[in-house]
Amino acid sequence: MHEELADFAVNYAVGKGADYAEARAEHSEGTAFSMKNGVLHAAGFEKEDGIGIRVIVGGAMQFVSTNELSKKVLRGMIDSAVRAARKSARVAARIDLSDAPLEKARYEVKQRVRSGEVDSRGKIEELFDIESELKEGKVSIPARFFSLSDEVVYKYFSNSQGCRISSVIPYVGFHSLITICEGGQTAQRSIQLDETGGWEIVKGWDLPSRILGEAKTLSNNLKCGKPAPKCRVDVVAAPEVVGIAMHESVGHPYEADRILGREAAQAGESFMTPEMIGKRMAEEFVNVVDDPGVPGSAGYFLFDDEGVKARRKYLIKDGVINELLHNRETAFSLKTISNGSARAMDYQCEPIVRMSNTFLLPGELSEEEIIDDVKLGVYIKSFMEWNIDDKRVNERYVGCESYLIKNGEMTHPVKKPVLETTTFDFFSSIKAVGDKVGYHSGTCGKGEPMQGVPVWMGGPTIKLGRIRLG
Amino acid sequence: MGDTMDFALLEKILRRARELGADDVVAIGEEVRGWQVKFVNNRIATGMSSYDNEISLFVSKEKRIGVTTIKEFSRRNVEESVSKLLRFTKKMQPNEEYAGIAEGPFRYKVVKGVYDGRIGKLEDRATDFIEEGVNAALAEGAKRASGVLRYGMKEELLVTSNDARSSERSSDMYFSIRALADKDASGHKVCCSTTLRNFSPEKTGARAGRIAKMALNPVRGDIGRYDVIFDPYPLANLLNITMDSASAFAVEAGFSFLRGKLGKKTASSAVTLVDDGRLPHCLSSSKCDSEGVPTRRNVVIERGILKTYLHNTSTAKRYGVKTTGNAGLLSPKPWNAVLSRGDYGEKELFDEVKRGLYITNLWYTRFQNYEKGDFSTIPRDGIFLIEKGELTKSLKEIRLSDNMLRMLLNIAALSKKQEQIVGWEVEIPVITPHVLVKGVRVTKPT
Repeated sequence: MHEELADFAVNYAVGKGADYAEARAEHSEGTAFSMKNGVLHAAGFEKEDGIGIRVIVGGAMQFVSTNELSKKVLRGMIDSAVRAARKSARVAARIDLSDAPLEKARYEVKQRVRSGEVDSRGKIEELFDIESELKEGKVSIPARFFSLSDEVVYKYFSNSQGCRISSVIPYVGFHSLITICEGGQTAQRSIQLDETGGWEIVKGWDLPSRILGEAKTLSNNLKCGKPAPKCRVDVVAAPEVVGIAMHESVGHPYEADRILGREAAQAGESFMTPEMIGKRMAEEFVNVVDDPGVPGSAGYFLFDDEGVKARRKYLIKDGVINELLHNRETAFSLKTISNGSARAMDYQCEPIVRMSNTFLLPGELSEEEIIDDVKLGVYIKSFMEWNIDDKRVNERYVGCESYLIKNGEMTHPVKKPVLETTTFDFFSSIKAVGDKVGYHSGTCGKGEPMQGVPVWMGGPTIKLGRIRLG
Repeated sequence: MGDTMDFALLEKILRRARELGADDVVAIGEEVRGWQVKFVNNRIATGMSSYDNEISLFVSKEKRIGVTTIKEFSRRNVEESVSKLLRFTKKMQPNEEYAGIAEGPFRYKVVKGVYDGRIGKLEDRATDFIEEGVNAALAEGAKRASGVLRYGMKEELLVTSNDARSSERSSDMYFSIRALADKDASGHKVCCSTTLRNFSPEKTGARAGRIAKMALNPVRGDIGRYDVIFDPYPLANLLNITMDSASAFAVEAGFSFLRGKLGKKTASSAVTLVDDGRLPHCLSSSKCDSEGVPTRRNVVIERGILKTYLHNTSTAKRYGVKTTGNAGLLSPKPWNAVLSRGDYGEKELFDEVKRGLYITNLWYTRFQNYEKGDFSTIPRDGIFLIEKGELTKSLKEIRLSDNMLRMLLNIAALSKKQEQIVGWEVEIPVITPHVLVKGVRVTKPT
């Protein structure tokens, strides 16, 4: 790692007149493989080193990054950054950072089986095993795309206030798209799995039977599925659907930088205002958190990319809007302190306010008890198409695996039920919350240049009362 | 081996890979300098600059394929990376679809207007551009404006084991501004260029500001089927997806609604859609693809008929055609999407609409089924009701929920004037006029 170089950059920037300086040195390495229709399409490995530096001079902020790790290059870039900050201070909005405790820490997510030590032949076997299982499964899947990757990210953060954080976080990921054909119709399913840890996680995914199971379910949906009822019905949403709703309609609008307008020309702004804290959104059994500390999660970290200690944030507590997501800049603007939500995709990106793992906390009912209580409803287990407006109000989730519920019993599959609603209606419709949280993976996009960061989203199964499905 | 990225280094890497047993080798070096200034609520927020260089390396060995990127050019690291890549590749399974890389050498013609050395020396002019854009938006009625100014310079070198050798410099500029006249009234515009000529943040800011003012006091839109005029900015989002779908890789992997449509009607006869890697002044134009094949103009949809997919050497062989000069390091990729102009003036286009919508921006386009083309997308910023050719109301909270093929088939008219667009959700440059699409399905929360 480049700890000495990062410390050098911070000290050099301060010496040149920066009021604040921070450096994030990163080293990452990993492998990736993809398979298209049974053919190993691509295989490769990456090793990357780089450093990202932020300085504040007279209230103006500059960010520079490079993979040229020499003191000479860094000196030149920092000189330019300090000069540019000094010049722009006359026209720039003043940026201040909220106070943060001085942290010094070193942590590592352990790998029981180090991905870097697994032979690449063994890695591609995982993909060929899926293909073999699908061939045996007698489901028509004319198009299949799978990718499997692993990466270890070593990071060292240092700032002019004395903060020093070292971390080692290993990731594994599987992404896929399968196209199922049945009776002349097709359906598609995208599956994404991301976790932090070693290769033992990939083994635990049991990809062959998982993918075959999804394919059979979709085939059955095409064969036996009927349209959703036209009248208002109860909707029982499983963790995958709950998760995307928590991410899109709670996590994003609670990002303080959006609320302050910093994302206006990119991911948009928000229906939320700081004055809405304390307003009721849902019944008292609804609690939504963002928590980077979930072991094994894709959004795992103990200190954020500004060196602030991470913690669980209660975004909705007892049904009431409770807290926003902050980095040090937004926290200062809204007269609070950072709750450790600053993340950067990599050394080339500035840290901005991000989610980690956003989920609904469990209630007391089992999924069976929730379904038992439904006279006429639709159970939506998974989804494909979704979107939401840039203020995070008007949202749509189109079901993939779905079933009709009649008098507490699951009956036939339902084809593509469309849940098109608003954030306010969604939350006021939550009538029951299950007792078991399920997590799903996603890549969250925000910022410019676009930063995609790994996250989890989830929750238990919930019941939404009296919804009109499309 | 040296420690600077130049032809000598690329050729040494190539020779070393061949010595270690590689059949085909492609080495592409890139040196990139980039700058960005973000502005928020009329004020500069953060300045950014970056400097990176890397060599992307592709090798094949008995149809086994491996790739890596070398980012540190010390003799030791380069040797380790090349030898590791060969060891790694030899362990892979053969890719029976792989048919090699194109045979060089090639003669290249320079692509005009893709480099302007002044862009690397903008300095204070960057702040001026932002002030001009923001002030123009405010003068038109906006209360605040946010966005970015981005500019960069790139130098790219390519060598292949089949005797291709190319070098190219390019530059780019991009300005994105979202003007807000109220919480619910906004307009978003972009401008982009390869040179300082034709780059006008002031005009762009004014256009965003005008839309924001027109969008004041929106009412909720109604569901139904509407004739929709798409501004170039939102249409670029959909044409980017269309051209991505023309890659033979997307077709085979299930990501394309153009699968099985070669030679068939996939759009109205008013539509001719071209991928043109040699288009002067276009942000992605380049004289060759990643195999070193000279780029060319590919007519993908001609008067509504799908004529070709985009190919590299391997996919072209499977389809019994020649490469279209669209090779990426692993898969075919589009250079851009150019929708041919029509013969309508902008006013004439609006006059065609008795009752319809004018959409100025889209985002969050997501598919239920890529192969069928079923999708929805969300209009954002100014959305307007058109009645008898006039904009009569500002609307909000609607969604377009339709099918890509149906929409392409329902394109009824195109304007005369084209615009080059890139954006937050438009990754390849799209050159398009305003377009009228008949009968687009609009939904909203129930």
